[in-house]
Amino acid sequence: MTVFRYDGGFEGFLCAVGDCLEAGEKQPEFVRDGDVYSSGLFAGDIHEVTTVRETALMLRKRFVNAVSQEAFATARYAFHSQKAGIELLVWRYLTLGLQVGRRVCLMLTEEPVHSVNLIARHVSHEAHKYKGFVRFREVETGFLYARIEPEADILAFIAPHFVGRVGDRRWMIHDLQRNQAALYDLKSWRLVKNIELTAEPTLSATEHDYAALWQRYFQRHAIAERHNPKLQQKHVPLRYRKHLPEFEPDNDSL
Amino acid sequence: MITLPLEQRLEILADSAKYDVSCSSSGSSRAGKAGTVGSTASSGICHTWTADGRCISLLKILLTNACIYDCAYCLNRRSNDISRAAFTSDEVADLTMNFYRRNYIEGLFLSTGVIRSANYTMEQLIAVARRLREVERFNGYIHLKLVPGADPLLIAQAGRYADRVSINIELPSRQSLALLAPDKPRESVINPMRQVSGLIVEAKEARTKSRRAPRFAPAGQSTQLIVGATPESDRDIITLTEGLYSKLELKRVYYSAYIPGSNDSRLPALPTPPLLREHRLYQADWLLRFYGFSAHELLDEARPNLDMRFDPKSDWALRHLELFPVEVNRVEYEVLLRVPGIGVRSAQRIVQARRGTRLGEVELKKLGVVLKRAKYFLTAGGRYLGGIRLDGPHLMERMLAPTRRPARLDQLELFAVMPDASALTGEL
Repeated sequence: MTVFRYDGGFEGFLCAVGDCLEAGEKQPEFVRDGDVYSSGLFAGDIHEVTTVRETALMLRKRFVNAVSQEAFATARYAFHSQKAGIELLVWRYLTLGLQVGRRVCLMLTEEPVHSVNLIARHVSHEAHKYKGFVRFREVETGFLYARIEPEADILAFIAPHFVGRVGDRRWMIHDLQRNQAALYDLKSWRLVKNIELTAEPTLSATEHDYAALWQRYFQRHAIAERHNPKLQQKHVPLRYRKHLPEFEPDNDSL
Repeated sequence: MITLPLEQRLEILADSAKYDVSCSSSGSSRAGKAGTVGSTASSGICHTWTADGRCISLLKILLTNACIYDCAYCLNRRSNDISRAAFTSDEVADLTMNFYRRNYIEGLFLSTGVIRSANYTMEQLIAVARRLREVERFNGYIHLKLVPGADPLLIAQAGRYADRVSINIELPSRQSLALLAPDKPRESVINPMRQVSGLIVEAKEARTKSRRAPRFAPAGQSTQLIVGATPESDRDIITLTEGLYSKLELKRVYYSAYIPGSNDSRLPALPTPPLLREHRLYQADWLLRFYGFSAHELLDEARPNLDMRFDPKSDWALRHLELFPVEVNRVEYEVLLRVPGIGVRSAQRIVQARRGTRLGEVELKKLGVVLKRAKYFLTAGGRYLGGIRLDGPHLMERMLAPTRRPARLDQLELFAVMPDASALTGEL
């Protein structure tokens, strides 16, 4: 039994899977850099995985050829859930796919396909929701800053969407849960880790005005005769509301 | 009308627009382009939900709520005593761009009351859309209302700028329209819809030949019907809807439960808006579009209205028990879609999964198929999933029986009979 230590990213994980396949390891374990790995009685050798983009791309190509683009996307979504033990599950999914090929897509009721599909669906739903729930605030002139606290690590899924959408401004989407951010510099976006804000960002002069207008619009738009807060909460669970200006307590002084 | 401060006008004009229920930002797929702001996603994206549980996807406002018409059902009718306001096109453009950049919205839904004439009003709407597209280089979603009676040339122009256009029929029959909206003959609504339908088909064809051919309302057109303000039956409504989908290729027909807002004697006095009826109509609408049903299967002369107790598919299945149960491992996809409780996703998953393995109850549950209703209409590997076979009336009774656990019996409380303690301690 070998323990594969990788950098925590998806590329790194693919490299770990690649190393694992090469070594013919049947019972691997995966740990991330920085995670405390308690080497117990049955601890295996630790193998340090070096992340090489080409290796990851090669494994992707191999899997896509064997199964499908869609199945690879499923694995990628599932991995980003960052649930405990997800590496092992996705590793089983990937190796099964390489063994049985396209048949994986029909094994919906069998493990690990069932669990991976379920988790992937969950993550992709969350990513879709955040395409709507990200709220930019204008800091200084032109710079847009947004905070999110998603359950899964969804930045990689939503950042390209915002590149296509708000391409004329520099922006940053800050994942407070993971202390990382997607940063866009008018050319491309990149993931920045270990972010720490030293001070609250200063908002631009008009930021409050637009947020207040939005709040008013939001409140006025509800039809009193159809009042249905339960339905509202089904769509916007409380945990999302923290960073949505329309759910901030009334600020009539603005 | 422009003298009020912006925030007040936003409130007034949002208030006036909110009864138009069309909300979607779907049907158009445009990637971001260099030099422009915005993109559209074919699935549409909801940005938030208001206290009534409806989503906000577009900034839905009127350009003005002043109106020369006096349609009885409409909040903005000439004779209604409400505050009137208007936006300038600069203001609408500024609000749209600033809300959009902050990711509050997917785009703009612009409607208006009719001022001066239909053509003048339509020109105002087009001017805003043109400004957004050409000056602000806005590439996000725009939904434009068409003004009844506007010139065909203007309508052809509107579709060049908008992703989706819509014109509301509002009342399902000619008689009701003549009674409640005397200024709007039915032709003034239907003719633009016909024209738009033709232009959409033309533009699509042109684009198959050249990618540079201009688009025309790529997300199609929609309309809205008010439910409960006039005596039309569900059958009238669903039959009309079916025609709109099949003949005019509408993307959506919206239903709006009538909310009493006037004392007009031509309108019924409803205590509450008919929300359940609206819901059933949407369910029937979905059956028409995604489940291969036709209107005459759901409703006929003998049963002109939908059953409020059941969803229309269960209702249909209960009247056709001779077709059920069906074997989940064998039956065609089209029949699966007709099983109550099985939706498009479930049916697709079943078809996919059964190629790999034999499906039993456990597997169905794993696929996420909800068996609450479906079990009475399915066998899996020859085994009937609904327990004892019941005849029609008994099955109906079973399906109507409350399935939720009975309300929790109240736990006995120690001090239940004690009055407010403060009364005892003399704090009062």
